[in-house]
Amino acid sequence: MIQKKVCLLGAFAVGKTSLVKQYISGIFSEKYQTTVGVKIDKKVLDIQGEPMTLILWDLHGEDEFQKIRASYLRGSSGYMLVIDGTRLMTVGVVEGLQQMTQEILGGVPFVVMINKADLSDQWEIEHEAVEGLRERGWTVIEGSAKTGQGVEEAFFTLANRMVDV
Amino acid sequence: MHEPSLFTGLSEALSILVLKREGVSRSFHTLHSIPEWYRTFLGKSLEDFPNLLPDLDSPFLKHFLPQVHEFLDGQTTGQLTSGIWCEQGADGKDYQFEATAVASADTQLLLIQRMDRGELELQTVLQTAREGGLQHQRDMAEHKQVERQLGGKLERSEQLRDDLLVILDRLQLGTIMTDAQGRMTFVSRVAQELLKLKESDVIGRLWHVIPAFSADDKAALEDMIRQPIGKRTKVPVVFESVRKRRVSLEIDVQQDPRDPQRTIFFLYDVTEVHDLREVLTGQHRFFDLVGKSPAITDVYARIQDIAPTDATVLIEGETGTGKELVARAIHQASPRKGQPFIAVNCAGLTDSLLGSQLFGHKRGAFTGAMQDHQGFFEAAHMGTLFLDEIGDMPLSIQTTLLRVLQEKEIMRVGESHPRSVDVRVVTATHQNLQELVKTGKFRSDLLYRVRVARLNLPALRDRREDIPLLCDVFFRQSRTVTKKMDIQEISSDTMRQLMKYHWPGNVRELKSALDYACIHCHGGAILPSDLPPECWESVDRPLGGINSEVDEREQIVAALTRAKGKRAEAARLLGMSRSTLYRRLDSLGLPTKD
Ligand SMILES: Nc1nc2c(ncn2[C@@H]2O[C@H](COP(=O)(O)OP(=O)(O)OP(=O)(O)O)[C@@H](O)[C@H]2O)c(=O)[nH]1
Ligand SMILES: [Mg+2]
Repeated sequence: MIQKKVCLLGAFAVGKTSLVKQYISGIFSEKYQTTVGVKIDKKVLDIQGEPMTLILWDLHGEDEFQKIRASYLRGSSGYMLVIDGTRLMTVGVVEGLQQMTQEILGGVPFVVMINKADLSDQWEIEHEAVEGLRERGWTVIEGSAKTGQGVEEAFFTLANRMVDV
Repeated sequence: MHEPSLFTGLSEALSILVLKREGVSRSFHTLHSIPEWYRTFLGKSLEDFPNLLPDLDSPFLKHFLPQVHEFLDGQTTGQLTSGIWCEQGADGKDYQFEATAVASADTQLLLIQRMDRGELELQTVLQTAREGGLQHQRDMAEHKQVERQLGGKLERSEQLRDDLLVILDRLQLGTIMTDAQGRMTFVSRVAQELLKLKESDVIGRLWHVIPAFSADDKAALEDMIRQPIGKRTKVPVVFESVRKRRVSLEIDVQQDPRDPQRTIFFLYDVTEVHDLREVLTGQHRFFDLVGKSPAITDVYARIQDIAPTDATVLIEGETGTGKELVARAIHQASPRKGQPFIAVNCAGLTDSLLGSQLFGHKRGAFTGAMQDHQGFFEAAHMGTLFLDEIGDMPLSIQTTLLRVLQEKEIMRVGESHPRSVDVRVVTATHQNLQELVKTGKFRSDLLYRVRVARLNLPALRDRREDIPLLCDVFFRQSRTVTKKMDIQEISSDTMRQLMKYHWPGNVRELKSALDYACIHCHGGAILPSDLPPECWESVDRPLGGINSEVDEREQIVAALTRAKGKRAEAARLLGMSRSTLYRRLDSLGLPTKD
């Protein structure tokens, strides 16, 4: 079976672990347990009639204490950049990570997930900012690890792109 | 030969799997029997298990192994760590590991360590650490909640506490824990590195002994400890580390959640940010000197020229201009830094006292000399001796000093054999030594000897543009020392006043004026009325410090040039009222119109 490595990247507490958990087992927890290092999970899905195993690398949040190791990224067929809609600063983090990933992996496919859509009244990210990201040619999906909105779509979009490459 | 049972025991105890790489096949073999936890993780019984590892079901190891081989093939010594990873075991539970490849002369090992014990604590602490780092982005309530969680966890057992320390030790931020009395109980690896401490030297001692902290830093930290948690802010601390590296820290003072009497200092290294900011705002500090005016940056440049040599230096400048700071900067920028810097004020000491202080004495050399005594010259051996107010040095001592400078030897009072010393001498005076030579109070040969290199410090009124910067630095210090953290700023009226005043006591006077103002201030901003009376009463004095007409003319022309001809601005620069300036211009025959 084809196996593809996918990394989840973003600032801390944006919901990377929650997205994976929602995607794999449909569970959400309010409790925040920060990821140390990398957490690895697998998910089998059907892409264009073929089964594919996604090896999901849920990386720790990038911040001043832990920088993402370049070696974690190697061998990825795609990645998901996660933004927390309620924290504007998480956009900047993703921009930095995109650049770093681009340098290491070249132009492999990625999608941007703006998470916590269920908290839209607390969003700090304006509509224009989202459009700004799209104008760069980025695929931006708004969703929520809590309600499940957009989660399946985001991973599915990414997986499809990886097959098309 | 390895002793398998020892390895097995260690492996179980430390939750670590030790694999050895065989040279030819490049395969890994365990050095001990497979620990129980690894078998549970893999879900295989011992019989299924060839003594060959690691199991390549692990996506992470599959990814890491090529890097390990590459590393071991290329390295004869050293190690490569994988970083922590987490995978689901066959039992459905999450397992955390970290792998390290170790290359040494005769063995190549791969260690796989299980990190699960204390997993929650690791996460909580990292989380707390992150929250600390991004504190300004997070609200206090959430932060507190995490602290409570951490507290609950920590109370559970001492074992967890030890794990916590191990974890704190791994973090990129430095941590120091103290007991209720302020004695250090834990200093993390990063903290030791940042502060250049050895844990064994400081454990059990008060945190105040940390040499990197200046008196002001300590006052600020003490003050922060007394503040209620919600009011605490990070305390900036800047110091000079090895190789002239300037280290900037921000110190977050937290309570130990287990016991609010105890304190945890989190040290964030912001040197890089600080340096960048420095570059952005232009160079305005040099060691402890502050300012970016041409007059003071010239001094910085002079210091850099003078420092690397061993030449004796004479620093001239009015009282309060910072002569000792310059002397220290010369020492710090010289190859002698790291060796002693000793400052002696020669004013007000009798010959015999100063003599024995500088050169030491033998027991019984005079009444009261109960013991052999080492003088400052010996104490400063290999380092720098700073002789302040050298103009006040008694003539007899001047003679001895001259000999010491020539011979590089000293003789303790009452002794007859010389001891050789290697000391760089930096001197300072606020007097005109040439004048003292004329009146016979200073030896001319000594004058030539000490002023091999000369450095003139500008008076504060000759670098007024530095006043706002200096105020900024001193205001923060004064506010902390006087415990008036509610004062937010210096009002613009006050700043104007400070810019105008002629500062006969120079930087020192400015510093004490701000101390005074902070004590007298009762609002959120320092007002002109909070300043010491002389600062606002004498503003209209005609040009303090300018005594000859030539000087005055030059200064006024310079100010006009700097102010691009604008009279009002020139008056401000000169620290005089506009009407005074017009009067002066008139009397000097200079045009009074812009
Ligand atoms: N309301 C809401 N909360 C969410 C959502 N996704 C995540 N969270 C919460 O946000 C917090 C962080 O989620 P995590 O999934 O642990 O974040 P992470 O990006 O893995 O964080 P790190 O591992 O520290 O980098 C948790 O408290 C989650 O419950 C969401 O869609 N809606
Ligand atoms: Mg996570």
